[in-house]
Amino acid sequence: MAAPNLRAEQAPGKPGALYDIFKTKAGLVSARVDRAADNTGAALKIKEIVLKAGAKKVAAAPSPLVDSLLPGGFGAAGSDPVLYRRDLRRHAPDAEVGISAFDLAIAETGTLVQDATDLDSRLVSTLPPVHVALVPTDRIVPTLRDALELYGGNPDGLPPYLAFISGPSRTADIERVLTIGVHGPAELYIIFIDGPGGEEA
Amino acid sequence: MSGGSIKGDIRAALANENLRGALGRFADDYLESRRVAYGHKNFSALQDEIAAIKSRAAGRLEELAGRFAIEAANRGAKVFWAETAGQARDYILNLARERGVKTIVKSKSMASEEIHLNKYLTEAGLEVVETDLGEWIIQLCGQRPSHMVLPAIHMTRGEVAGIFSRETGEELPPVISRLVQVARENLRQKFLQAGLGITGANIAVAETGTLVMVSNEGNVRLTTTLPPLHVAIVGLEKLVERFSDTAPILEALPRSATSQQLTSYVTMLTGPAPAVDAFGQPVQKEMHIILLDNGRTAMRGDPEFKEALQCIRCASCLNVCPVFQLVGGHVFGHVYTGGIGAILTAFFNGMENAGGIQSLCLGCGRCKEFCPAKIDLPRLINSLRTRLARQSGLPLPQRLFLKNVLTSRPLFHGLLRAAKAGQKPFVREGMVRHLPFFLAGLADVSNLPALAEEPLRDWFRSYTGGETAKHKSKRGSSPESGQESKPGSKEEGTTKNNAAEKTGDNLEGSAVFKTEIRAAKETKGKPEAGADGRAKAEAAGKAASKAEVKPEVKAGTGAGGKARPLAGLFAGCLTDFIYPEIGVSMVKVLESMGFAVVFPQGQTCCGYPARQLGAPEVMTEVARQNLAAFEAAGADYILTPCPTCTHALKDIYPEVTGDDPALQARAAAMAARVYDFAEFVYNGIKDGTTQMPGLKPLDRKVTYHDSCHLKRSLGITREPRELLKTAGADLVEMPFSDRCCGFGGSYSLKYPELSALILDQKLACIRETGAGLVAVECPGCLMQLRKGLAERGEKAVEARFLAEILADQL
Repeated sequence: MAAPNLRAEQAPGKPGALYDIFKTKAGLVSARVDRAADNTGAALKIKEIVLKAGAKKVAAAPSPLVDSLLPGGFGAAGSDPVLYRRDLRRHAPDAEVGISAFDLAIAETGTLVQDATDLDSRLVSTLPPVHVALVPTDRIVPTLRDALELYGGNPDGLPPYLAFISGPSRTADIERVLTIGVHGPAELYIIFIDGPGGEEA
Repeated sequence: MSGGSIKGDIRAALANENLRGALGRFADDYLESRRVAYGHKNFSALQDEIAAIKSRAAGRLEELAGRFAIEAANRGAKVFWAETAGQARDYILNLARERGVKTIVKSKSMASEEIHLNKYLTEAGLEVVETDLGEWIIQLCGQRPSHMVLPAIHMTRGEVAGIFSRETGEELPPVISRLVQVARENLRQKFLQAGLGITGANIAVAETGTLVMVSNEGNVRLTTTLPPLHVAIVGLEKLVERFSDTAPILEALPRSATSQQLTSYVTMLTGPAPAVDAFGQPVQKEMHIILLDNGRTAMRGDPEFKEALQCIRCASCLNVCPVFQLVGGHVFGHVYTGGIGAILTAFFNGMENAGGIQSLCLGCGRCKEFCPAKIDLPRLINSLRTRLARQSGLPLPQRLFLKNVLTSRPLFHGLLRAAKAGQKPFVREGMVRHLPFFLAGLADVSNLPALAEEPLRDWFRSYTGGETAKHKSKRGSSPESGQESKPGSKEEGTTKNNAAEKTGDNLEGSAVFKTEIRAAKETKGKPEAGADGRAKAEAAGKAASKAEVKPEVKAGTGAGGKARPLAGLFAGCLTDFIYPEIGVSMVKVLESMGFAVVFPQGQTCCGYPARQLGAPEVMTEVARQNLAAFEAAGADYILTPCPTCTHALKDIYPEVTGDDPALQARAAAMAARVYDFAEFVYNGIKDGTTQMPGLKPLDRKVTYHDSCHLKRSLGITREPRELLKTAGADLVEMPFSDRCCGFGGSYSLKYPELSALILDQKLACIRETGAGLVAVECPGCLMQLRKGLAERGEKAVEARFLAEILADQL
């Protein structure tokens, strides 16, 4: 199911300003936020993250954005790291990095929103210890209420699985000590893309 | 864990240093982190929004459940209405068996705790694995959650390391990051194997059939993603009408629960999403939603308790509760914990399990302030208390006291005087708190201040106005030494009860009452004994009334005969019989402002303690008497030094007189003239309607303690502070100035250990200011603080009543 369209009057007039707020807020919940001018820039950033993680196995949930960013994987066929785009129920559990695209971002809380009806999008964002999330810069809304209004405006079009993600997985269940990375990823990288589909401030 | 007596459980909890440390630190940090999380959000607007949404939904549970069921079914979910816990359990077990499930993964669900699901499924041979870290810890060591949001808050990393070592067969160090990693690895295998995932839900949207779940660890996402079968257990109170209703709840829940702007994950499920099996083959995901009644429609049908359905389970009422912070949820709770836990337990898990929990509520009212759903939890607990008292009955001495003595002022005051004279008919080593409790057989603590030599009402008999300067407090105004003479001491035993003879506070009544208790005890279970006793007490009361001195001593006109505005003083028992100097100080200040003061002698206990003990009808009766007394006095204003009395006269009398419209109208008329002393004085000066002569500057470091009832029942915080500044005080705020002092009326008698620890915290806050004087505007707090200071040999700090401080500077 497609993400809701941002109506003109709800679309942020200044994605740049919203991006700054988002970056601050997401940083407060331990997400790492970066921004690329276009797909090429974004692909480079993804590769850096994958290399840094020392990943042998990367799982990407198929989407037009992800497909266009990494058409040929990370290098020569058969060499590390291997990019998996299919059969992810089998491959995501031992992948070191998962990659998926998001529909919206909420500046107020540093939150990503995704129609996660497609199982793959959930597998790559829950199982690997590192998750890379991609989102077009022009899809930042100011508040949680704005995001909920977009989905609530079309109740029949609500996706079966709508996911909101703010930072990596966390717990404070032992002695209230904040510990990052329990069942979900311990690292969340968010890359905003200005280019095609994106918009510069 | 409450296997033994509640007192034993309290002792065990208090001995658990880790529990107290963890809970105490959490409670201290919570206020600030919550404040930061709310930032610029308008909490009170959110409260209004949530209360409106949830109360609307609570009134239409079945309708919304029906709509939800249709919408969810249209989107492919199966919806089952479980009227009882047993139906829900059976449904899940049958489903698991039909689908050949062996392993079940669960994310945190209080509803599943409520129906004791794990035990049931495990006994049926299924492997059930809690995947929330805290819940897993609790499950592995066979406990139950001690907090609704932080289930294992009572355990140390060392204990967790021990539990995980046993589970994994590997010696694990007490390093939290390592322990979390071990949980991830172990539970990951379970997620991948499980045939069924069970979750709860935080919100269920009728309009769209959507379930909303908040979590931080990611286990909800895995539980709803990996197994091909999903069961969600949803209490009916989770229903809201519209999708847009989720917004304010999602804004408040994480902020109030864990001081987060949003949890790491919010998952919204609208019908089943696609799934694949472990081999990557697409399978039809099955989604079953159990709408759980289990007492919720009964709660909805109960006008007194319907409000509890507004709860969004953020547990902030636990986090700000001074008692919870000491003992945790194993003592203060059943399945659901804390104050709200008492109410939920009564309806979901049986009244019989709620009695002990509700008794732990101190009545400080702090929870109400923080509730994002605007639930008046103190009122609910009071209603529960009343209901339990009606069902199981109050202990006999209390019942007899409330019904036969408190409703007869001469008898009541006669008994007080009797106690003063050392005759002590009903107390062992006892002294007073809220005075009625003392006589109700609840008093069991020594080292409390003695009754005053001359009650305020007697002082007033010789008072003709403008003479306050002559009054010398019989006991001075210094903090109690803790060594004060007690009733029955030699010195007091020689003090004859002249005043009682004078006023007709007939001592015979006490003899009747004493005999009656004995008689009733001997003929336990025979109601006619009580009825007979009632008649005797009434007779004694009438005899006493005849001897009542009339007319009222009224100070309505000054020397020149020019009418001054008339202020009626409603003293309350503590001021009347223990701290008359407070009343005298009030008179002094009021006179300086040009008022005449009258003390209607027919006034008696405000009745609040009776209501607190679960006997509101007794409060109605004393309300009738107090109304008559003050109507006869014709005061323009009615002032009290006691916030509990003010609250009673102003807010509760119109409530408890509801069955008698004429009486209620009179109560409302009186309520409109009732003021707290500080409020009255400050506002009069501020509005320019009255003036106080210039005060000698106090020139001293003073800190101010907010009484629970003054702040939360009456909303008065600024006025006393401003008056202190007017008196030239160097006002220094203490941390947590509005945290209860631990007095709580009968509470300090029922649970002295808890009361003492809460008092310790308060005294530590006072000390931190470096002030030598702590001002209070509540005689109960005054008593508690003075007792604490005296017992701890604290010489550098004194506790005084605001009116006394002002009067001294005149």
